[in-house]
Amino acid sequence: MPPTTRDEIPPGTLDLLILKTLYRHKELHGFQIANAIQTLSQDILQVEEGSLYPALQRMFLKGWLNANWGKTPENRRARFYTLSNEGRKQLARELARYGRVSEAIGRVLEPA
Amino acid sequence: MSTFFRRLKLLFARDKYLADLEAEMLLHRHLRADSLAEQGLDADQAAASAQRRFGNTTMLQEDSHNMLTWNLLEDLLKDLRYSIRSLFANPLFAVVAILTLALGIGANTAIFSVINAVLLRGLPVSHPEQMVYLHVEPGQPDGAGNTGNSDSSFSEYVFEQLRTQNKSLSSLIAYVPLGENKIAVRLGPIPEEASVEMVSGNFFSGLGTGTSCGRALSLADEKDHTAVAVLSYGYWNRRLASDCSVVGQTIYIKGNPFTIVGVGAKGLTGVESIPTDVWVPLQISPALNAWGSQTKNYYADPLWWCLRLVGRVAPGVTPQQAEAQLASVFSRAAYEHLGGKPKPGEEKRKLLLVPAKGLGEEAEGYKDPLLMLLAIVGVILAIACGNVALLLAARNSNRRREFSIRLAIGGSQSRLFRQLLAESLVLSLAGALLGWLFAVAFTSALAKWSGMEISLAPDRSVAFFTCSVMVAIALIFGLAPLLTVRRVPVGLALKDSSATAFQEKSRSRSSRLIVVAQVALGLVLAVSAGLLTRSLRNLEHANLGLNADGLLVFGLSPQLKSPSQETTLNFYSGLLERLRSLPGVRGVTMMGNRIGSGWSNNTTPVLDGMKPTNRGRAGMRWNDVGSDFFKTLQVPVLQGRDFLDSDSATAPKVAIVNQTFVNRFLKGREVLGHLVSYSSKTPFTIVGVVNDSKYTGIREEAIPMAYFPFSQMQEVGDMHVEVRTAGEPAAFLPQVRKTVASLAPDLALLQPMTQRAQFDASIDQERLISRLSLFFGGLAILLVASGLYGTLAYGVSRRTSEFGVRMAIGCERPQLLWMVLSEGLRLSALGLLIGIPIAVAAARWLGSSLFGLQAIDPLTFAIAAGGIFLVCLVAGLIPAYRAASIDPIRALRYE
Repeated sequence: MPPTTRDEIPPGTLDLLILKTLYRHKELHGFQIANAIQTLSQDILQVEEGSLYPALQRMFLKGWLNANWGKTPENRRARFYTLSNEGRKQLARELARYGRVSEAIGRVLEPA
Repeated sequence: MSTFFRRLKLLFARDKYLADLEAEMLLHRHLRADSLAEQGLDADQAAASAQRRFGNTTMLQEDSHNMLTWNLLEDLLKDLRYSIRSLFANPLFAVVAILTLALGIGANTAIFSVINAVLLRGLPVSHPEQMVYLHVEPGQPDGAGNTGNSDSSFSEYVFEQLRTQNKSLSSLIAYVPLGENKIAVRLGPIPEEASVEMVSGNFFSGLGTGTSCGRALSLADEKDHTAVAVLSYGYWNRRLASDCSVVGQTIYIKGNPFTIVGVGAKGLTGVESIPTDVWVPLQISPALNAWGSQTKNYYADPLWWCLRLVGRVAPGVTPQQAEAQLASVFSRAAYEHLGGKPKPGEEKRKLLLVPAKGLGEEAEGYKDPLLMLLAIVGVILAIACGNVALLLAARNSNRRREFSIRLAIGGSQSRLFRQLLAESLVLSLAGALLGWLFAVAFTSALAKWSGMEISLAPDRSVAFFTCSVMVAIALIFGLAPLLTVRRVPVGLALKDSSATAFQEKSRSRSSRLIVVAQVALGLVLAVSAGLLTRSLRNLEHANLGLNADGLLVFGLSPQLKSPSQETTLNFYSGLLERLRSLPGVRGVTMMGNRIGSGWSNNTTPVLDGMKPTNRGRAGMRWNDVGSDFFKTLQVPVLQGRDFLDSDSATAPKVAIVNQTFVNRFLKGREVLGHLVSYSSKTPFTIVGVVNDSKYTGIREEAIPMAYFPFSQMQEVGDMHVEVRTAGEPAAFLPQVRKTVASLAPDLALLQPMTQRAQFDASIDQERLISRLSLFFGGLAILLVASGLYGTLAYGVSRRTSEFGVRMAIGCERPQLLWMVLSEGLRLSALGLLIGIPIAVAAARWLGSSLFGLQAIDPLTFAIAAGGIFLVCLVAGLIPAYRAASIDPIRALRYE
């Protein structure tokens, strides 16, 4: 069972997390993406695992991801996702936006 | 690849997409369960926990699924449903808007149906786009004669050569009527008239149409000149109540028995605008000659060009290629009997292939008036759209509070915009449907009125036209609400509406713009209608140069057992004698071409053995007429004498010319005694000069005319008889019929009518155009007035409280009245000012079709502008009066 409290991912950042994860790992299937986000965030951020899939579909439709069927190390059929060029550009855009937003929030929260 | 295409692709591979997704999600749960099991949970617990962490699988699948389906259709349906509901909520608005649009769209659909039928539609045959008419430019070679239109008549010899030596036409069909008009046929005891054509044997196979009963004609029928006939579907339906047992019966054509072998396909009325009733194979008997000619024989005479040709271009061959291929065959055949080549100075004749569309060459005369009508109804539609735009603007402006609330509680602008677009779509759809019904009613009434047997009813291409108009209108009205929506501030709902008065300004500015444009367009239509109406009045009261009242006219096509010049002349003189002795008959005469019917003989005269040298103005018309011609028609004889019974075939050949002939060719010289001829053959001595009188129709300009005794012609065929009666001419018809029957029982009177009606028929087209333009002009003014009224009335209702305040602080009622009225008058004056130059341009365009008045006719312009101003004054007075009668106390409580 969860060792520490887990926080929901702030709305709107799931895309960013997926993009960034795929950027680091090159090629992952859905389960690996969910695990990777948890691991990287040191188990603090928890993806509601199912919601990953509609997000992946949406991003695929937008052309940010490529998807190919392949075999897992356990020899099971899985769909592997990689970043497309458009996806890399989108990552840059999302990162910039995230930077701006968190900076702004930081400024608001800091005591004057 | 854009998102759109990726989505589209997935939409087509939808099942695979969903299966993939399910497999992916299943794998996830399995892997999670495995990993939990590794951490020590037992298998069941692990699976349950994995499922919990995954969430609601069905809902997630649905989420992904929704991404695929857009929901666009569903939203659209919702929008449409809501629009219909909101239109029902304000039925008066909906009815007025839909009716206005229906009038505009209906008028356009109707006129376009006519244009489609007359100018665009292909023949009712298979692959109509392959059909071409054969034309010869510029008419027959010198030395050859013709009947029919000179640019579309060919000799039988040329037809045979083209038929046997062409490689680019899959079929070439010849056809020619058996008389200039309808001819006498008999099916049962009573003779009647019908239009009968003889055609080459491949007529039906070449057109690719079947038969409704029996068989079609064949090449063998043509070769043997078999006495068989195929009835047209229309004639069979009208005359024989669609009974197939008619096959095998006998129909007498000009007294000759023909066996009916079949009935043509439904819709096939022939290949020309005048519908054919009966088709027979090409005949060789002299009694059944092309155009009913009594002397020339189309089979034997290679210099008589009288057949019309229509061909089907072979698949894969363009008309241009076919034309090029046929050029050498044609020029060899055309000059074969004329010395093998063009005479010196003669323009070489060329064969042209003209796509068979609409009414073919008949269409030329309709083209300009129809385009004019299309322009008129286009303007009507613009005005109607203006009115609906005004209505919509007023309505949407009243709904700003609603929009603002919807935006404030989280509705998106795009959703609101879509909603308004859906409303305009519903409006224009309803308008188009109703307009379609108007158009169907209008075209069937028009077809009945004009006596045209071609179908004017809207068809598929008309439907396409109407749909395009509708979509264009829906889009235009869709753009207007975009502006409305974008300008709605969210906070408006919270504010008092008087605070919004300022924001009304831009809306009312565009409304005023629309009103001004409408007035301008209305003036254009009113001026056009006025000019065309005055032109028609001039035509109706034109001086014909003869007394057309009290004259009965009918045609005769004698069916003599052994037709010869002598027997025909005897028949006619016997008939004249009997008719003259009838009580109440003041005079009887005859003519080869019926006056007022459009038919005429045209030639270059030979005067004293020479052709006149007046370049370009050397033409003359002529007619072969009977004795007492001018006395009977009451045309003043200026010099010399009328024709007499004594001007017989054997007497010295004489001619009478008109005043214009004298002015042009014999100015200042003694006229009587000169020799005139219509060909280089026999000369006729001029024995009289008569006043000019109308020949082809009322519109005819004065032209040199020569009259010859019909008895002295080389050929005497069908004649038209004029009877001057003491009373109503139509009342004499039974007597006349009896007299003709006593002489020739099988002979039908062809197109009997009063001469007045015949002349009236020559301006049918002008009458129709002028009435339609008057109707549309009235409609336009009505729409303009209602637009102005609506705008002013709406303004008054918006400003009720303002007027209340004005009154409360001492504004007099007349001042208020003038305030509102003057705005209306300003708008209409501005519109008229802008409209005048446009109307001048339109009038110039009409110029050539006007009779007896200048395009820039000050009286018409004054009446049109004055009329519109007056109507606008009335339209403005009503809201102005309402403004002036506002009760200040109630007005102030109004909000």
